[in-house]
Amino acid sequence: MSADTVPDESTRVPDAGDDVLVVRSLVRRFGGITAVDDVSFRIGQGETYGLLGPNGAGKTTTISMVAGLIRADSGATLVNGREMGPDRVDVKHHIGLVPQNLAIYPDLTGRENLRYFGRLQRLGREALDRRVDEVLELIGLTDRAGDLTKEYSGGMKRRLNIGIGLLHQPRLLILDEPTVGVDPQSRHAILESVEALSVEGMAVLYTTHYMEEAERLCDRIGIIDEGRIQAEGSRDELVRLTGGVDHIRLNGSGDIDVAADALRELPEVEQVDADRRTLYLTVRDAPTAVARIVTSATRAGLSLTDVEITRPDLESVFLHLTGKALRD
Amino acid sequence: MRPALAIGVVELRRFFRDRSNIFFVFIFPLLLVLVIGLQFGENSSQGRVAVAGDGSALRTAVVDELEADDVTVTFDDADDVREQLARGRSDVGLFVSDRAARAFDEGENVRIEIVTAAQSGSQATVQDVRAAVRAVGVEQSQVTALTTAGLDEEAAQDALARARETIQPPEVSVSNVDELAQEFSGVGQFDVGAAQQTLLFVFLISLAGSATLIQARREGVVARTLAAPVSAAQVIAGQVLGRFVIAMLQGGYIMAASSLLFGVAWGNIALALLILSMFCVVAAAAAMVIGSVMDNDSAASGVGVGTGLVLAGLGGSMLPLELFPDGMRTIADFTPHAWGYEAFAEIQRHGAGLVDILPSIGVLAAMAAVLLALGSWLLRRSLARAL
Ligand SMILES: Nc1ncnc2c1ncn2[C@@H]1O[C@H](COP(=O)(O)OP(=O)(O)OP(=O)(O)O)[C@@H](O)[C@H]1O
Ligand SMILES: [Mg+2]
Repeated sequence: MSADTVPDESTRVPDAGDDVLVVRSLVRRFGGITAVDDVSFRIGQGETYGLLGPNGAGKTTTISMVAGLIRADSGATLVNGREMGPDRVDVKHHIGLVPQNLAIYPDLTGRENLRYFGRLQRLGREALDRRVDEVLELIGLTDRAGDLTKEYSGGMKRRLNIGIGLLHQPRLLILDEPTVGVDPQSRHAILESVEALSVEGMAVLYTTHYMEEAERLCDRIGIIDEGRIQAEGSRDELVRLTGGVDHIRLNGSGDIDVAADALRELPEVEQVDADRRTLYLTVRDAPTAVARIVTSATRAGLSLTDVEITRPDLESVFLHLTGKALRD
Repeated sequence: MRPALAIGVVELRRFFRDRSNIFFVFIFPLLLVLVIGLQFGENSSQGRVAVAGDGSALRTAVVDELEADDVTVTFDDADDVREQLARGRSDVGLFVSDRAARAFDEGENVRIEIVTAAQSGSQATVQDVRAAVRAVGVEQSQVTALTTAGLDEEAAQDALARARETIQPPEVSVSNVDELAQEFSGVGQFDVGAAQQTLLFVFLISLAGSATLIQARREGVVARTLAAPVSAAQVIAGQVLGRFVIAMLQGGYIMAASSLLFGVAWGNIALALLILSMFCVVAAAAAMVIGSVMDNDSAASGVGVGTGLVLAGLGGSMLPLELFPDGMRTIADFTPHAWGYEAFAEIQRHGAGLVDILPSIGVLAAMAAVLLALGSWLLRRSLARAL
């Protein structure tokens, strides 16, 4: 009868390890464009993995293959060690998808939407009642559960959109840009609940083009552009790719060139550029180096008016890797 | 099949949440049944006779006879009577001149002028009028015979009345040679219209509903449904189920309400429901085809309503099939409506059984099978576009 009675282990692919999700060399083309070009990554239990990339990078296309909505031209997706695809109805139970575009019925209430998608997940009557209430509580919509969702604010719809993905407590939660177009307060609430989920042991695949979100939420981040993962690692690992250097800018009056020469003598300082009133320094570990730099500059006769430290972030990593800004 | 059920239930819920549907499903069809029934009803009475001439014993006697035969009689002056005939408002005009009235009173030869309208059905009325006039003539000649034999007029009338009570006069049944009039004889005033509107609205409501499938695809709910452990086949089954139940409710409602309010006879109820459900499958599958081929929901509503009306018109749900010229009748057979109409006509008018309507049911089933296969294939294809 239904495919979900097939025992898990029989179809487990041996080398999947303990990872909840294994994505191997996925490729997907649309006509002439290769939307996803040889993408691979893994997500372990309790881990939050971020796909960070600009519009059109291929995030949604990757997610659509992972969720079994579209077929890959080549490559494989393993969820819980079992191959995923459009026909793998049994494997789909393990994922919760929160699509980029709100996928809720506007002419049904919040509760009706939850119950409908809960039924599709084959939750029994009792489990359904319980989970719907729990999720409503979690997304803060208990009071508005009986209202049609077309009367909800943008943030409320986003929260419901996420809640639907959580109903059946999947092993892997996939969130495709879940904070687009929400106010800072709702956004904060969404990020907090995602953090809470990974603490509970859920694996999370999170796409975004906001680097702050990726930095805050994700254990590991894949930087994706033009269908390819350009680099992958923790935030600190990625930052190190830029050379691991910080920037310090000094403003002041005095003999700029003399000060520049003095600073070049310091071992922490890798490079110094100067214009009429400003020095731009490339240094290692700016927070520790800044005291000596300020002392040297002052000793060289510069009277400082302003000191600014810039440490690299994912934005600069992206710039470094692709030569363009993350947001256009 | 639980997911398919869940999908079907959601479609129903959404349908009834749309308030504008309530009017179109529950009120509008009955209004049409009423209007069509009223028109059909007047046409199908035992004929309409317009009588010209002043009040006289002759006029009263003839009119009494006609009304006893269920003929509708109206009075007007001679010009208006001619005009009514020309416009087809009356079947027969009866001109009772003053001379005729006087001749009647005096027991002499009476000449009454009868003018018939051109339309079909008036021949039957002419027969009625002839019979009535003859009956009046016979009675008058009997009275004359008795009075010349010496009875006074009152005694003669009395004797005749007594004779009528004891001796059953030979029944003159006017048998109608017009095929059309025969087909509709004995058919209730609202019966044909109710069957037509049932078919028309079931199809219309289904096709117009194809827009909700497009909305669901565009809003991404269909994709999200497929991200759950639900197969494409279950999505398709759920969609068809939802549309089918809506169509059945629409059809069942018109049948029940028209039977209660207008006394429409549906014949064997089990067979009527069989016809309805087969027709509903065709309608639901057709809705899926439109909902999968088109990507714009308001355009789909328009196309749905347009197609629904054209098919209804071609298939005898507006003008009865019996009035179609031959060429159009052949075209009608390409619509499911025509087969539904024929099947309903069989059980409503001729007390047909299952075997009699089996051909119609078979054609409907074949149409349903083709549309279901096509619709499933198209919906599957559209799901790949849903993102
Ligand atoms: N169904 C489709 N047909 C044709 N091209 C497509 C289709 N889906 C995606 N693409 C193309 O594939 C590329 C990747 O699109 P995708 O939606 O995956 O990007 P994304 O990273 O999710 O972008 P965004 O941040 O804007 O959501 C784009 O060039 C897009 O135009
Ligand atoms: Mg996207």
